[in-house]
Amino acid sequence: MQRRIDLLDEHHTVTVFGQPGEQRLQVADGEPQPVALTVDAAGHRVIQLGDQRADIQIAVKGETAYIRAFDHSFTLHIVDPVDQAAQEVGGSSNTARAPMPGTVVEITVAAGDPVTKGQSMITIESMKILTMITAPRDGEVSQVHVEPGDTFDKNAALITLREKEE
Amino acid sequence: MPTIKKILIANRGEIACRILRTLDRMAIPGAVVCHAVDKFSPAVRMAAEAVEIDGPTPVAAYLDVEQIIDACRQTGADAVHPGFGFLAENAGFAKRLSEEGITFIGPLPETIELMGNKVAARTFCIDNDFPLAPSVTEADAGEDFAGQAGDIGVPLLIKAAAGGGGKGMQIVEELEDLAQAIQLAKGEAQRAFGNGEVYAERYVERPRHIEVQVIADHHGNVVHLGERECSIQRRFQKIIEESPAPGLDPDLRARICATAVEISRKTGYRNAGTVEFILAPDGEFYFLEMNTRLQVEHPVTEMVTGLDLVEMQIRVARGETLPLTQGQVQVDGHAIELRLYAEDPQNDFLPDTGPLLTYRMPSGDAVRVENGFCEGMTVSSAFDPMLAKLIVHGKDRGQAIERGLKALKDTLVLGVTTNADYLTRILSHPAYASGRIHTGFIPKHAASLSPPPLGEAERNLLLAAAALSNREFTDPAFNVPEPYTFIGNWRN
Repeated sequence: MQRRIDLLDEHHTVTVFGQPGEQRLQVADGEPQPVALTVDAAGHRVIQLGDQRADIQIAVKGETAYIRAFDHSFTLHIVDPVDQAAQEVGGSSNTARAPMPGTVVEITVAAGDPVTKGQSMITIESMKILTMITAPRDGEVSQVHVEPGDTFDKNAALITLREKEE
Repeated sequence: MPTIKKILIANRGEIACRILRTLDRMAIPGAVVCHAVDKFSPAVRMAAEAVEIDGPTPVAAYLDVEQIIDACRQTGADAVHPGFGFLAENAGFAKRLSEEGITFIGPLPETIELMGNKVAARTFCIDNDFPLAPSVTEADAGEDFAGQAGDIGVPLLIKAAAGGGGKGMQIVEELEDLAQAIQLAKGEAQRAFGNGEVYAERYVERPRHIEVQVIADHHGNVVHLGERECSIQRRFQKIIEESPAPGLDPDLRARICATAVEISRKTGYRNAGTVEFILAPDGEFYFLEMNTRLQVEHPVTEMVTGLDLVEMQIRVARGETLPLTQGQVQVDGHAIELRLYAEDPQNDFLPDTGPLLTYRMPSGDAVRVENGFCEGMTVSSAFDPMLAKLIVHGKDRGQAIERGLKALKDTLVLGVTTNADYLTRILSHPAYASGRIHTGFIPKHAASLSPPPLGEAERNLLLAAAALSNREFTDPAFNVPEPYTFIGNWRN
């Protein structure tokens, strides 16, 4: 079983071998090491990897693990292979997505408009905060997916770009 | 003066819970209004009665004056506590309540009107010789606005007249940038407030935000309850507040507090309010604005004075005289408030939303938690992303910082990204500990406030924990015998 896990904006390839109880885990192309996640009598979770161990607190929702360890909180995303494939062909960089759920306040571009990287395209409001969404790269607006006043969820496609026609 | 038999709280979340606790102690029944998204919130469970309200958005429901008046009729509430935000500084709301014979627990509508408009409040200060940073308004200067603004000298701050929350604010370092900054500020102000009017003000570098809590009764008595330091801000919003302000010269403190009391007297102030000042490094201080309501950070004042501001508000509203004179106000020790937000400090403090899978708040004698959430609730984008406030008290500032760190350590929120670790890094920062703080603290120390790098061993342990807690990794159906892994992990 191999998956990409994202932590602190970095991608890691993690492979787990073996049956529960005698599993080994490999990070990237490092040495596979015995691994176990156990719960002690008091309900504390302990992760062990080779000769390293740590007390952790963890909650999982879907493909996201929220972990408290080493006096810090971390969010780890286990990337679905289908999403990963989509990202690798560059599909995502053409589309400006919503960083959080919210409402569209103002759209300053229309389909066919040329845009330059960093140019403001759309203003959204979430939790009383206005945020401008900018063009992720140079190009031309291919499609505007929303209208002023629309509400949207996190990661919703807002504007799609295409290569500029010279 | 009115008797108050039942109070409707026109608010939600932690402040509704906080007000309900005082009502319980005073044996006054408390009702709340609630939008459907808040139906299962702690505030609704705590209240004796809850009236559901509706609107195009959840926020719009809490801003709907007529629905709130209907809720008063339904519950028989004869007074309204507005909390903060929503209708707390809406003069029209206060007037409507008064027409209906319902007591508004707050100042008179005309005071709200006067202090709510920044330009009107400025004019009031000029007319009464209260300290104000050199400034010029577009309304006064007309065509010559840029010229007169330039005469004040740089650095300059261009602000929206109707503004707040940092919207429509521009800092001008060079005069040649002035014209463009005015245009930008006007555009932002127009978009954010539907009013493009701006004014220019001298920008005080390394300013501290010092504010004074005041309370006034209906018999002409006004006292201040000391000051609060609120300089630790991001996005022009406070995240850590404390009382007293560290290292403030006693004479200067006395002058700032006396000015706040004078401003309150001159406006004919009633009930609780806060006068905000900008304090320059040279000891000059300027009026910033007056908030005609209870503030988010009021608990630090309560922690050091031992007073209950909500109780005082209710007593004053029903005509009682203030229970103490200025000389009887005692400040004991030091208190710090930490605002816990669902937001990502590593990503420009963008709000986060999601389910509270694990939600544990600290407890203990010197810790007070103001919280409106519980485990299993979802943080939505409908409201401000503040989860809770942790307020700690110590015999001195050092002990308060220690207790703040302990409280953060005892806080566990999993399911949304929070600023808890970031608050820990601020409290642990040497510049914070030594009291060298100003409103630019966060950008100035951005590098030393970022999280320490993760070691390889720690990183691998985290990856292992995430992998082993994922169903796909642990489900034997997905397991690949080691010799075959080279062909990949794609099955079916």
